[in-house]
This record gives sequence, structure tokens and C-alpha cells, in this order.
Amino acid sequence: MHDVRVEVTPRLDGQAVDVRGNVVKARLLQDLNLNVARVRSICGFVVRSPMDAATLGERVDDLFVDPIIETGLLGSAWLGDSTQFPDAPDLVITIGFKPGVTDNAGSAALDGLRTLFPEARVEGAGVSTDLTFAFYGLPADADGHAIAASLHNPLIERALIQTGPGPDGWNLLGYPERPAVEAQPPATVDLEVDDETLIRLSEDGLLALNLEEMQTIRDHYRDPAVQASRTALGLPPHAPTDVELECLAQTWSEHCKHKIFAAHIHHRDEETGEDVEIDSLFKTHIMRPTLDMQEEMPWLLSVFHDNSGVIAWDDEWSVCMKAETHNSPSALDPYGGAMTGIVGVNRDILGTGLGARPIANTDVFCFGPPNWEGDLPSNLFHPSRVLRGVHAGVRVGGNESGIPTVNGAIVFDDRYIGKPLVYCGTVGLMPATLPDGRPGHAKTAEPGDLVYMVGGRIGADGIHGATFSSLELTEDSPSSAVQIGDPITQKKMLDMILEARDAGLIASITDNGAGGISSSIGEMAEQTGGVEIDLAAAPLKQVGLSAWEILVSESQERMTVAVHPEHAEAFEAMAAVHEVEATVVATFTDDGRFLVRHGEDVVALLPLEFLHDGVPQLRLESVWSPPTHPAFVPPQHVDHTALLLRLLGRPNVASKEDWVRQYDHEVIAQTAVKPFVGVERDGPADAAVIAPVHGSSRGLVVSNGIVPRYADIDAGAMVVAAVDEAVRNAVCVGVDVDRMAGLDNFCWPDPIVSEKTPDGRFKLAQLVRANRELERMCRAYRVPCVSGKDSMKNDYGTGADKISIPPTMLFSLFGDHPDVRMTATSDLKRAGERLYLFGRCRQELGASEVASMLTESGEAEGIGGTVPAMDDPEAQREAYAALSGEIAAGRIRTAHDCSEGGLGVALAEMCIGGRRGAMIDLDGLGLDGADTFGQLWGESLGRIVIGVEAMHEAEVCNALEEHGLTLIGLVVKGDRLVVEDGFDALIDVAVDDMVEAWKAPLALPVGGER
Amino acid sequence: MKTVRVAVLFGFGINCDHETAAVFRLVGAEADRLHVNRLIESPDLLSSYDILAIPGGFSFGDHLGSGRLLGNRLRFALRDPLRDFVANGGPVIGICNGFQVLVKTGLLPGPPAGGDTTPDFEQRASLAMNESGRYEDRWVTLEFDPESACVWTQGLTRIDCPVRHGEGRFVVEDESVLDEMDAAHQLVVRYVDPATPKGEGRTDERLPYPTSPNGSARNIAGVCDATGLVFGLMPHPEAIYAKWLHPDHTRYTAPEAEASVPVDERSLGEWEGEGLQMFRNAVEHVRNRSS
Repeated sequence: MHDVRVEVTPRLDGQAVDVRGNVVKARLLQDLNLNVARVRSICGFVVRSPMDAATLGERVDDLFVDPIIETGLLGSAWLGDSTQFPDAPDLVITIGFKPGVTDNAGSAALDGLRTLFPEARVEGAGVSTDLTFAFYGLPADADGHAIAASLHNPLIERALIQTGPGPDGWNLLGYPERPAVEAQPPATVDLEVDDETLIRLSEDGLLALNLEEMQTIRDHYRDPAVQASRTALGLPPHAPTDVELECLAQTWSEHCKHKIFAAHIHHRDEETGEDVEIDSLFKTHIMRPTLDMQEEMPWLLSVFHDNSGVIAWDDEWSVCMKAETHNSPSALDPYGGAMTGIVGVNRDILGTGLGARPIANTDVFCFGPPNWEGDLPSNLFHPSRVLRGVHAGVRVGGNESGIPTVNGAIVFDDRYIGKPLVYCGTVGLMPATLPDGRPGHAKTAEPGDLVYMVGGRIGADGIHGATFSSLELTEDSPSSAVQIGDPITQKKMLDMILEARDAGLIASITDNGAGGISSSIGEMAEQTGGVEIDLAAAPLKQVGLSAWEILVSESQERMTVAVHPEHAEAFEAMAAVHEVEATVVATFTDDGRFLVRHGEDVVALLPLEFLHDGVPQLRLESVWSPPTHPAFVPPQHVDHTALLLRLLGRPNVASKEDWVRQYDHEVIAQTAVKPFVGVERDGPADAAVIAPVHGSSRGLVVSNGIVPRYADIDAGAMVVAAVDEAVRNAVCVGVDVDRMAGLDNFCWPDPIVSEKTPDGRFKLAQLVRANRELERMCRAYRVPCVSGKDSMKNDYGTGADKISIPPTMLFSLFGDHPDVRMTATSDLKRAGERLYLFGRCRQELGASEVASMLTESGEAEGIGGTVPAMDDPEAQREAYAALSGEIAAGRIRTAHDCSEGGLGVALAEMCIGGRRGAMIDLDGLGLDGADTFGQLWGESLGRIVIGVEAMHEAEVCNALEEHGLTLIGLVVKGDRLVVEDGFDALIDVAVDDMVEAWKAPLALPVGGER
Repeated sequence: MKTVRVAVLFGFGINCDHETAAVFRLVGAEADRLHVNRLIESPDLLSSYDILAIPGGFSFGDHLGSGRLLGNRLRFALRDPLRDFVANGGPVIGICNGFQVLVKTGLLPGPPAGGDTTPDFEQRASLAMNESGRYEDRWVTLEFDPESACVWTQGLTRIDCPVRHGEGRFVVEDESVLDEMDAAHQLVVRYVDPATPKGEGRTDERLPYPTSPNGSARNIAGVCDATGLVFGLMPHPEAIYAKWLHPDHTRYTAPEAEASVPVDERSLGEWEGEGLQMFRNAVEHVRNRSS
């Protein structure tokens, strides 16, 4: 093998521009306040193949160099070439990947190399990539290491920093060489030890199993029947192999088994004196209500047991949705972590039923404040860096996969510095019935089916993701838990699998996520009652993986597919056309065993029942006493205009347009209400509306609700607000309220009382209250939860430095829309349009955005007070049904909900979207107890501002009056928003000033220049 | 009436294959999503189609420059069938990533007008990174050269549709190439300021970001080859196949929904979007040619 270096740099002549260099220049100015005169970039490639430089010759230009704008060099460094680099740069930084990290550009280059040179089609050939930046006009005091630190993540990348050439010229990064590793034969783990040793075994091995679970495993091997069956297969009779222990740790992890939601809880309420036992929050408050509703909702096709929940949409199509979190990996490597998050949840959809096509993504992020100036624990990134990395990861993952990002949110709070939350959701579309007559949503695996691993290969990356995410983040968190997604490998696999589905070749399918094939095949084996796996058959990225590593590795872009033997040939032929690797790694049986071989040797034998149902139920303590906060008292003399402009600039309220616009939100040509609406297409949309079947205007609504602030007063109120917000947003676009389904995604700090978590009982009580309110709201709104997820260890560090996130639940909603042509958007439309407030204003300012803002600035004592509540959700549902009906009938074109910043901010956003002013009079809004401040800035739930044309006014008022409808003003020809309270002008502001206040804070610099 | 058959390529990260096939079906053609490798397996397959479409997407992740790797596959494995397809009068469209592929293979802009215009697979232009330094999804306004021979754009004056790319800045080695292309009416589509009167928006003067979203020379959004058969553009006309996809459709710019007839797969009625005509043009061109 030869290593040949190829370098490509933008040409200095013609119309070429070094955009990469310009982007870095702009970023250094923004991030480090460093003004560099010029930055030039060089893309480097190391081609490892049987060919030397002479053989590669000029043809290599066909692959690497764009002749119009670039120039390439074979075998040496551009920096040493005086034609392209006549002046010596002040600083040179080269960044490349560490060994073993996914290099997508390198893989693509290898693919391209093999198109040109068939001789490169050999094992061991590869291409690595790196990027060099040359800095000119660097300020004298600039720190090269600080610049390098801002340009790379040392967890996954290497950086070479140079201020001048060495004796042999400029140094270059070589091919990232993996140190040779030898596979270890399976070891036997002796569990007949004292309890302390059991715990140490779990901790040292990153198994995340508690003492009782370790003891349960030990006891399993004391069973004489178990011992006999093990002896017969040549396994150690009295103790597990490391393969078995790792497999159990993955399967029993909090991540996979949701042990806290399944726990037996003793709950006490110190306020009311309540003292009860709860057998599983999940079964009691999430599953039971949905199953009850399912009796009246035949359109709920598949709930809870598959990778996502499926509902019927029309006669031909069913839809499904799933949302996942990818918090811990995103904390360590925001880019890679978020990308694997989005492509991972796409696979959940692909693995639903017999395979669904992902058609829309939603992204909701929670970060520390982007302008944070306080201290940071040493191994945490600044929130702005996390934002940029996560955003880039989701952008690349979603855009390259061809899935539009249609809806989302970004929430900021100091406590997310410890752990960012990265929620990725995906909606899928599947045929109701396949051409062969099978329903699309049901799996049909049988004993004897071949189990294929399809897509990427297994590597050392992503080992222990499931168990790691079940632990708190520390300085020692392993880098192997971080991966970078490979959207193109996944896209090829997706194309192939959907073709195989339609050809009737798939009997069952699931994705490989947490726990790798130990989880995916282990779970699928329940469909037939057993499986026999051969790890030696699994294709590997590199040699040297031990059996347990192959079993639990979470390497990305893999699906597990069951195929009837008679379809195997057709399935493999299809995989070959799509250039997708598909390998038989197991066979389904019905003998109740999870049997794993590595070639000739049996390395694991676990009864399926023990694997899946053997984990002991946790018993947890929960004690509620309400937290106390100083009451929020609005300042005496308020300049409401100034307050509005300040609120518009709050990161939680401000426009995220420059970020969101980098997501493709309309690939597939279906998005009828996009993230941005209005004259300049920069007003906020409440919910996404898509028409996924081309040529039909039948639609689907996707929305989200998330309000973590309220949990500071009551986590129950937080959930109520989230559910209401998701439904409210969907109502704003005219959803069919009889056809909505929801997803609950809980992210909590560790709620198990321990030395590390002395307040665990309180945090668990927050979870209890949250679940009870979730049930109350879902039953009343008739929104069944069809799928959900929880992430229960969102803490950083221990002791005094511990940072716990605020308890956070994201509620995602998808529902029917009868006809996307009849929908509403938030932008004001025409002068003369009459504006009404639908819903009632109560004095609810506790934990509001305005209370947080004024408390942070010292203008108020605290955020305490009445948090927004929903006392009569049944009545609210009736109200929503009436309003949504009017929108879907085409009589209302303008609607926007009141959320952060209340009515005041909602009106401002509507003016911004329409670039129109409005005359508003609050007179009449005080009937339900809110004073002027509360009417304007309070966050009472259930409120929507609507605009009605004169021709529809009578009809609309007639339909909505009984649900609380107050005329508040009208749209004017001018460009000012004027709000009065009957006598005094409270707000008088130009629309352009609101635009500026709202759009400037999170705007991005435009990177390029000539 | 002749059945017009359209091959819509997919695979390796092409993303817009479903909607591109759908819009051809909406204008009465028969459209097959055809995997690149199936075509490479049986190159003769191409001659059984009347129209070739290369949709948008991120083929091979746009690594090594957008469209380059897929372009190389086509150039090396399908050179002769592609040349024959164009030489025999088959219309070809490349949208977004498809345009990038056509430019990197040399099918666009192709040999200069006036000489032998048979494809020679020589790259003469490129689509470089947006000057903004970022990928963006935003709606733009386009105008067409009314004198162009491009079979795809006949009768079109102005449409709105989205751009969704990070590498869309059309560049050539030398301004004279643009002069020649302009003279031959190959600079078919330009970004224009929506505030200009309809039909008067086209200009050579560089428009500011984001009116021109990427900094293209002369605000070029798309070009055709000398024959007018091969056409590529960065914006997505298929993304405005129906009026409900326009961001303004709730702003009284679309027909009153209650008065309009329900749509079905064969006719969108008055809810047809302005992008569809481009695909109908090519289908009708094939029909007229064969009748």
C-alpha cells in the first residue's frame, strides 16, 4: 500500500472565492473578537491504495479537483509552492480526524477513487481527509492554540499548529492509523463475590447495573437447570461470560428498559398528606389512558410496542411518529452527537411495521444561554459552541437524508449548560396495505427466518452508548460513546429497504440503535420466541473486536431485517444494486433461547424470558413539597414599549431564522405551512402543515409544546402547558381535533435518591406530578400518547458543582388536516382585518418569561406566583374544536397562539409577519382577573389571537362566542403597533423596530465576501 | 396520444426523486424512478425513455464538491448512452444537485453554440459555494429569457420557487464564456428582484444577497446547452407544483379554497402551481416532435 497526498485549494484567478477561509475569518471575529486579514483553505487527502503517485497521476484530478475554481497538487504541500502561496502565512492550522472516527468525505472519496481506479477495490484501501487554514495578518497577540481550539473538537479530531515550516518544510497530517488490537476470547466473570465487588464490577465495566440487578444475574447462574443447559453447550456453568453480562447490561439499561418509569413508587405529598403506592408511572399514566382511548379510536393502529406509534391516515396510507433524545453524545461532540440523533430517529421510522418512509423531521433543542459569560466546567463546551455544533449536525443529517425539518424550537436556560437536550423527531408514511396484502404496520417474522444486518459495518465506535447515557456526565465520559453519522450510507440503505418492502421481501425489521444487535435482534427474537446469532458472520470495520464488542457496538446506519429464506436471493440482489451491505448474522428459532455463537464457539446463552423480563422492578421513594420562590411583583412604572422590545430580544423569544433557514424544510414538495410565514417570510409559524401525497391536498399537522420554566414552580404545570401548547399550535392551522396523537419525551435529572442525589425524592415527586397531569390532559384533549421516550440522568458532575437540568417534557403532536388549502398563518393579512382574542386572561405570571427576565435583571424579586393552569381541559377541547373547525372551513386565515411573553409578544410577532401595524384595545380582557400587566405579558393557556375578514365575522363570532372571544382591535394600513387599555397608550412602536429587536440577537454573520 | 416516458434517476443520496416523478405524472407523462446502478447495469435502458431527469439531493453527500462523484459515475459508465440520448433530441433536466451533476459531467453548458454541439463531457463551468458560506432554504423570484431555445422554459416569464443549496454560485473561467452563452440565449433563468415589473427583472448587474441567494455571476440561476434540450437550474420548480406550497397561499394570493373544486391526482385545477408548466413543456415538446 502507498500513501499519496493530494491537496486542493481555491484558485487565485478567475471567479474563484475561498468561501471556507472567509467563513473561518468571520467566525474568529465573532467568537474570539479576532480580526484576521485573510484566511486561505486547503483540502488535504491521503490516498492509501496499491497505487503510487505516478500511477494516480493526473487522472486523480478528475476526482478531487474542480478545474474551474480549484487547483490540485499531488505528492506535496501547497504551502511550499510559491506560485499559489507566495507569502508565508503567520499561522497554519491543520485539522483531521483521529483514528477510527467516521470520515464521511474520506469514504466518499474512496468510492470515487474506485470508480476511476478498479485496482483500489481492495481491503485496506482508504482515503483520509484534513483541512488546512493559513492565516495572514494575524494580530501579534493572537493565540494559535485558542484559534485551533475553536476550530476542532479534540475528542474526535487532531490539530497540527505551525507558525513556520520546519527543516523539511511544512508538516502534514498522515493517514490516521489505528493501533492494532487483538480480539480477546470470551472471559468468564465470577459473580460469587461480595456486594461491594459486584458494584465495582458494574462501575468499572460501565455496566450501569445496580446491586439488586447484579445479584439477580448472579442468582440466575445458581439455577441447576440453567447450569445443565450451559454445560451441554460448553459454557461456564456457574457464571456469565462477558458477552452475556454486557448483553444483559445493555438490555437492562435505563435507556432500554425505562426502569424508573416502570418502578414501584411510594409517593407522599407533604402538602396534602397523600400517601400512595404507584405500580409503574408508564403503565398507570401513559399506557392505560391510551389503551382506554384506543377502544374508541380504531385509527390507532399500533401503540407502544414498535419503534414508533402508527395511526391510520387515509385508506391507502398510515402515518407514524417518533421523537428521541441524544443528549449525552451531543454534550461530548455536539456535531456528531446531534447528527447520530437525527439519523437514528429516522431509522426508528424505517424500522416501524414493515418499514415506513421518513417524511418530516422536528428538532427541539435546549441549551445554555448563547451569550453565557459565567464559568464553565472544564470539559463542557460553551453553549454557543453547542448550539453551532448541534445545529450543524442536524442540518447535515436531515438535509443529506432528504427529509424536511418542518418544525422545532430552541429553548435556553442556564442549567442546560450541564447537559444540552437534543430532541429529534421524525414523521413517517407507510402503505396501509402492502402489494402482497399484509398490513404495513404489523411485523410477520417466523421461526427459520434469516436475520440480516443491513447497512454499515460494526466498529469499535459507539460501544456502551446505552449504558453511558444511563449515567451522569463526568470528566471521564468515554469518547467511544460518540459517533458521527453517515447520512449517505443510511440513505442508500433507506432506498433499498423501501424497495424491498414494496417487493414483499421483508418479514420484520427494526433499527440498530442503543445496545446494537444485542438489543435489535434480542427484541425481534420475541416475535418468534428465539434466535441463534453468529457473530463471526458480522462484517466489521476493523479486525480485533471481541465477541461482546461485536454484540453491543452501536455503530450507526444499520438495520436488522428478517427475511423468509425463499426471499433471500432477491433481497441480496436488491442490496447489491443499491451498493448496500446485507449479511445474514442470525436465524430466528422458537426454542426460547437467545443463543450467540462466534464461529464454532457458543459465547452466550440466555433464556429470552430472563433477558427481557428478568430485570427486578425498582422500588423508589417520592416526596412532594412545593418549592418556594419570592413572588414576582411587576415593577411600579412600566414602559411597556421598552419591555416589549426587550422581550422580543430574549433568546427564548427572538427569531432563530438564520439557523432554521439552513434546514431544508420543503424537500419532498409537501410543506404547505413552513417554519416561516408572512410578507418577508420571516414571521413564526405555529405548526407545520404538510400534504405528503403528491397531487392531493389532504394534510397532516405537526407541532410541539415545551415549557420547562414552569417546572420551577410545578412540574405538573410544565406538562399541562406543554400539552396545551402542542395542541394550541395545531389548532392555529386547523387540525382535526378528533384525529390527533401525541408523543411524550421526558428529560429529567436523576430522580433516585442517593449520596449523589440527595434531593432524589423531590425530583421523583416532580415526575409523579408530571405524569398525573399528562394523563389528565391527554384524556381530556383526547390525544393518545402513541410513543414516547425518557432520558433520566441529565446531570453534570457531583457535589457542589452538580448541574441538573430543569425537568423537561417535550410533547410532540401529529394530526390530520382535511385540506391544506384551508389553513391559517400568524402574519397579519390586510388592513381592516378584525383581531379577536380567543380564550381568557388570568393573572398568571408565575415562572413567565417576563418574570424570568425582570428577575434576572434585578427589577423583580423572583419568579414565584400563579403558574398558568388548565382547570377545565374538557371545555378547552370543545373550544379548540370550534376554532379549528372555523379555520379548516376557510373562514379564518390569521391565527397565532400566545406563549412566551403572552399576548404582547404574540401581537408583535403577527405585526412582524405581516409587516403591518395594528390598533389594539385591551378593554374587556380584565374579566377573568388579570390586570393590565397580566393581560399583556401573562401566559394563560388556551389563548389564540385570530384575524377575521368582515365577510366572515358574523359566522365566526357566532361559532366561537360561547368559548370566550373578545374583540381587541384591527389591522391598520400604518406601520405601528399601538396598544391601549381603554384610556392610555401602553405600547406604541414601529413594526421595523420590533423586527430589529426580534431578529438581531441570534442573527448570523453572512460569511462570504469577494 | 403518445405515452411520454421519463426516467427519474435516484440512488446515492438523490433526494427529490419522488416529487420529480410526481410532477411529470401530473402533466400526463409516465415516470419511473430509476436507480443509477440499474441504468449502469443496462445502459440500453436509457433509449427506452423520452426524457431524463436528475433530481435534487446530496449525491455522495456533496463531498469533494457537489455533483462531482455522481457526475464521474455517469461520465465513466454512461458516456455513450448519455451522448446518444442528447444527440437524438432527448430533453434532460437537472435540478439543484442534478444541475450540479450536469455541470460537473460537462453536459452543461456543453460545447459552444455554432459548432458541433454533441456532448463532449468537458467541464466548462462550475457551481461553487454560496458566498454567504451557508446552505439555505429560501424562496426566490426567477425570470426567463423569452428568446431562449430551451424547450423547458417556453412561455414562462416569472415564477417563485425555493432554492435549497449551499453550492449554487455559477462560475466560469472567463467572462467571455458568459458573453457567448448570453448571445446564444443559454443564460435561461436569472434571480430577479420581485419588486421589478414582471418581465423586466433580468439584469447582469449583481443583485444583493438574498435576492440573489448565492452570488452567481449575472444572477444566473440556470442555463441550457446550445441545443436547448439540456437544462439545469439551482432552484426547485417542482416544489411549486401546487399553489398550496407557495408561502403566500394564506395571503389571498391563491384561489378561494371554498370556491375551488377538490383536486385529484390528474388535475390540480386552478390550484396548479406555476412550476408545473416547465415539466409540461418538455412532455409536450416530445409529443409534438413525435407527431
